[in-house]
Amino acid sequence: MIQLFNVRKSYGGVAPALLDITFSVKKGEFIFLTGPSGAGKTTLLKILYRTEKYDRGQVLVHGMNIGKIPDRKLYTLRREIGFVFQDYKLLAKKSVFENVAFAQEVIGADKKRIRFKTWEALKNVGLTHKKDSYPPELSGGEQQRVAIARALVNSPKIILADEPTGNLDPEISLEILKLFEHAKKRGVTVVFATHDQEMIRSRKHRVVVIKRGKLVAP
Amino acid sequence: MTTSAHTTISNIKTNLQVFLISVATITVAFSILGLFLVVFVNLNSFLTTWSKQVQLIVYLKDDISQNQRQGLEQLISANSDVESMTFIPRETAWANFKNTFSSNKSDFIDDLTFNPLPSSYNLKFKPSNDRFIKIHRFADLLKGRKGVESLEYGEKWLGAFEKFMLFIRIFLLAVGGLLTLGLILIISNTIKLSFYSRQEEIELMLLIGATPNFIRVPFMMEGMLQGLLGGIFALALIKFLQLYVKIQFQGSLESIARGMEFQFISQPFIFGLLASSVLIGWVGSFISIRQFLSPAHKK
Repeated sequence: MIQLFNVRKSYGGVAPALLDITFSVKKGEFIFLTGPSGAGKTTLLKILYRTEKYDRGQVLVHGMNIGKIPDRKLYTLRREIGFVFQDYKLLAKKSVFENVAFAQEVIGADKKRIRFKTWEALKNVGLTHKKDSYPPELSGGEQQRVAIARALVNSPKIILADEPTGNLDPEISLEILKLFEHAKKRGVTVVFATHDQEMIRSRKHRVVVIKRGKLVAP
Repeated sequence: MTTSAHTTISNIKTNLQVFLISVATITVAFSILGLFLVVFVNLNSFLTTWSKQVQLIVYLKDDISQNQRQGLEQLISANSDVESMTFIPRETAWANFKNTFSSNKSDFIDDLTFNPLPSSYNLKFKPSNDRFIKIHRFADLLKGRKGVESLEYGEKWLGAFEKFMLFIRIFLLAVGGLLTLGLILIISNTIKLSFYSRQEEIELMLLIGATPNFIRVPFMMEGMLQGLLGGIFALALIKFLQLYVKIQFQGSLESIARGMEFQFISQPFIFGLLASSVLIGWVGSFISIRQFLSPAHKK
């Protein structure tokens, strides 16, 4: 599902942000992407999502050579991927329901489908009772669950999560992790970036470790 | 298109304050341009009306012979630029003069035992761009004729008047051009501000798989709507001001130039103003959204 070959990325500093990264993720697999702060986890996820370009190597996502996708066609890649951000990226002026529905609206889904899929996604994350609330009225854990519902509402084949539990306490973090594992059970490929070693140890998912831009344990 | 219209309405509702500020800015900007046009149209019309009243008056000597008068009339009739010729006998001229000053009769008029005014021909010329030159040339031709006492056509101020009209037109066009340029900059910046207020939303749309057109079209529709509403409000404001000035000062204007009235901008100008407001809204949105969708910005 995801394949990286000798990927290198530099921001112009002395040491490259990523150096010769090669690994793959199978369809329906759940992996933890870990490493200390500044190791290159976010850069790697941004490359997979093509918000960053890489300097060298090759990246295949769902059979697409993402380096060759023109900017105007990037939406074709992004519709295959659900991205969950550490800072949630919810729109404060839209309600919970509207935030999740927004992901459906931007791909041009019809109203009936939007209502049905949004309700289903909110049900999966247990937030139907908060559908009319606005993000600032929610707790961190609830906001992250809305973000996950938004990432899942378009039934993506891949979920990329950048430290989705970084701002949450351990109990809530576990709940969030379970939501991603639930998605995996439905056949979604999940790349879960975290530096929470306790969480990683508590599960039996494959772990990819990056340190100073280099792959340590594939 | 329906989805885009729906998204546009939804965007406006969500960011109503920014939308209204943009519309208000466009209204103010176009009101300035519109007022400028009204001043231009009225000044132009005033000068044209005024210039139409210019006549060539040929004063005749008291001892002019019948032959000399006939010769003069033939010469005037032969001139194809002359629209009409009116002969005013000295008696009529004197009666008119006394009528005009009847309200403030002075002893001076009553004491006069003779008619001091000469007979005259009042010549009206056909409207044309070089009317003043033609009047001037014909006056030169008549000046040496026997039986002609003097000529009057405001030659002292005619040249200055022409120069003034040309200067005013060039000045108004130049200032109008600069004003339009300023407007485009103001409106483009206002629309850009409304984009900045939604930067987060646009970036998110790109991240979650919106096509560039899905983002572009509603914003451009919104820009055009802002422009159109701004244009309509500006026209309404100018119309209101024009009516106010007309009610207040129409009397004074008529005393200066008969038949002249405060005009609103003509239909082509109205459509032009509305079309340019929509166009500016569209251009402003296009420029702003292009910056947001450029690869450099996405990085």
